[in-house]
Amino acid sequence: MSESCKVSSERRGDVAILWTDGYINNQGGEEIAKEAYAQLDRGARALVLNLEKTRIVNSIGISILIEVLEKVMDKKGVLAFCGLTPTIDKTFRIMGLAQYAEIYPTQEDAVRSVTTHTA
Amino acid sequence: MTVPGPASSTVRLDELWKRVGAILGSDQPLSSRIAEAAVLATGAQEATLYLRDRDAWIRTGEKSTQPLSPGEIPEPLPEGIFRRQGELWLPLCAEGSVHGALRLLGVSPDHPPEDEANLLAFLLGALVGAHGLARQVREAEFELKARLLELESLYDLGLSLGGQLDLSALADEVLFRSISLTDAGKGSLVLFDDADRVLLERSVGGEILVPKDCLEWTLPEGGLINNEAPSDGMRDGGCRKYLAVGISVAERRLGVLAVADKESRDGRVLDFTPTDARLLSLFANQAAAAIETARLHRDALEKERIERELELASAIQKQLLPRDLPVVAGLEIAAKNVPTRQVGGDYFDFFPLSRGRLAFLVSDVSGKGIPAALLVSTVHAAVHLQIDEAKTVADLISRIDRHLQRFAGTRKFLTCFFGLLEPDTGVLRYVSAGHNPALLWRKSGGIEKLSATGVPMGMFPNASWKEETISLSAGDLLCVYTDGVTEALNSAEEEFGLDRLSRILAKDGSSSPDALCRMIFDEVDAFVADAPQYDDQTLLLARLVG
Repeated sequence: MSESCKVSSERRGDVAILWTDGYINNQGGEEIAKEAYAQLDRGARALVLNLEKTRIVNSIGISILIEVLEKVMDKKGVLAFCGLTPTIDKTFRIMGLAQYAEIYPTQEDAVRSVTTHTA
Repeated sequence: MTVPGPASSTVRLDELWKRVGAILGSDQPLSSRIAEAAVLATGAQEATLYLRDRDAWIRTGEKSTQPLSPGEIPEPLPEGIFRRQGELWLPLCAEGSVHGALRLLGVSPDHPPEDEANLLAFLLGALVGAHGLARQVREAEFELKARLLELESLYDLGLSLGGQLDLSALADEVLFRSISLTDAGKGSLVLFDDADRVLLERSVGGEILVPKDCLEWTLPEGGLINNEAPSDGMRDGGCRKYLAVGISVAERRLGVLAVADKESRDGRVLDFTPTDARLLSLFANQAAAAIETARLHRDALEKERIERELELASAIQKQLLPRDLPVVAGLEIAAKNVPTRQVGGDYFDFFPLSRGRLAFLVSDVSGKGIPAALLVSTVHAAVHLQIDEAKTVADLISRIDRHLQRFAGTRKFLTCFFGLLEPDTGVLRYVSAGHNPALLWRKSGGIEKLSATGVPMGMFPNASWKEETISLSAGDLLCVYTDGVTEALNSAEEEFGLDRLSRILAKDGSSSPDALCRMIFDEVDAFVADAPQYDDQTLLLARLVG
């Protein structure tokens, strides 16, 4: 696993897809938040976080993801996750992230769903 | 939250609170409502709400994602309202703590009056305080969920590891959960084999973290090191504080699980807590049980594989040995092969030829198991293919050798005694390719050794062998054997030896080959008793009868 989490993104209309690669801890969470906020500031209304290259998330990373989620909700946007390992999927459900953000098995499913929301 | 102000700021007080109440009761986020209420109450052109998040300030509203500029919030923030460069600041306090601050732009220097501003700050402070309390509740809820996650993880890990026989996947599972649940910035898991050599290493966040104490197996009681700085000689990956625990089963150390640099939201490195240490120990215990299970499973599979290989090798070898002894006029023959559990690759064979002649061989190939059985198979095929083509015994051996050099690969060789006996004349032509000396018992008295006439086959390219000729008289007995007979070991690790074999021949050489064969094996069996044997035993006896 890479030493630090890398985040890349792509914009498809109102939807921004963010890919993470590595450990979502304090540093990884901040990288995600930075990219997510930049996308929101550029008018994105929906974020899809693809975590297929992430196998570890700690509680600091989760709290940052919750902050991102709150910001998205403040802007009446929507956030979705995809590509989660079974462990991270369960972690998100227990920690309450799944309460306000949908979790999808694939990126296609996630993008299709949030696109409907932003239409 | 930044809210632009209305065109006019002249609002009656009762009307103001009515409108403020309506705003506060709306379904907007609380931060928006507070800023909007402040604008309405003060006639400000713009209001920005800042909230205290632990030790940091955050800006709410539309510009919440943008970082604060230096000096944007006065530090330290006064406890009462104050004005700064055309801004009116309302610190929002509750229960003696500052929970937030409102920055109002575009207010007139004398409006609102100080008492109204103080009242507004008090009311909004109470709201923000409530908001802070709600946040604390959320944080407490988060902590509870985190504890629940720990319990669930322990349960899940137990289930997951129970069926996990792949050491590598097992190590990842344990390491990832350990790092995640202790909020460590990095971590590693190292497993050692029975000889304390590194069997497997996994790391996250940098170099493998191996405390020197763990390598030297001098972990303190309980096998735990907590919140220590890396020591000299430690492969620390640049960590500052680490928590390490040994993975062991009974007295046997299997590895070490270490995490380092517990993270905080503000970037500080925290101490690992007793809960972290307990959690890591529990993970290590679960890992130890799972690793032991995986190891036992791997050993069982390996044993099963070896058993199958030996069975196959034994079947191959058995199929190549003659089922019946040839009946040749003028000769009495006996032969026996006793394979060991670890197939050693002994091979003997007979080839009845024209004019009543008999060719025979006794051979011992290098190696054990499938490789040995395949080499025997190669030799068997080569002899059967070449025996009619060869002009002499030495020529036959050279042909087989070339075949081996070509097809049997490297580091494969065999010793072989090949004889061609003419019962009519009693002439024995033979080549011994590095084989144990055959014994010729003379009826007239004495035992002669027929020593090697060349090197083992398959060992050197272009080797050659000398063919010897010797005459047998009626009643003489030839004894050819493999080293499994003479090197059979008893429990004191003494060899049966050539002398014992010679003594049996000297004493009972006149017995029939069958009887003598039984006698020799009985003597060997009695000698080795219960000691396990690791080499095949093969014996071939041929007597020239008059």
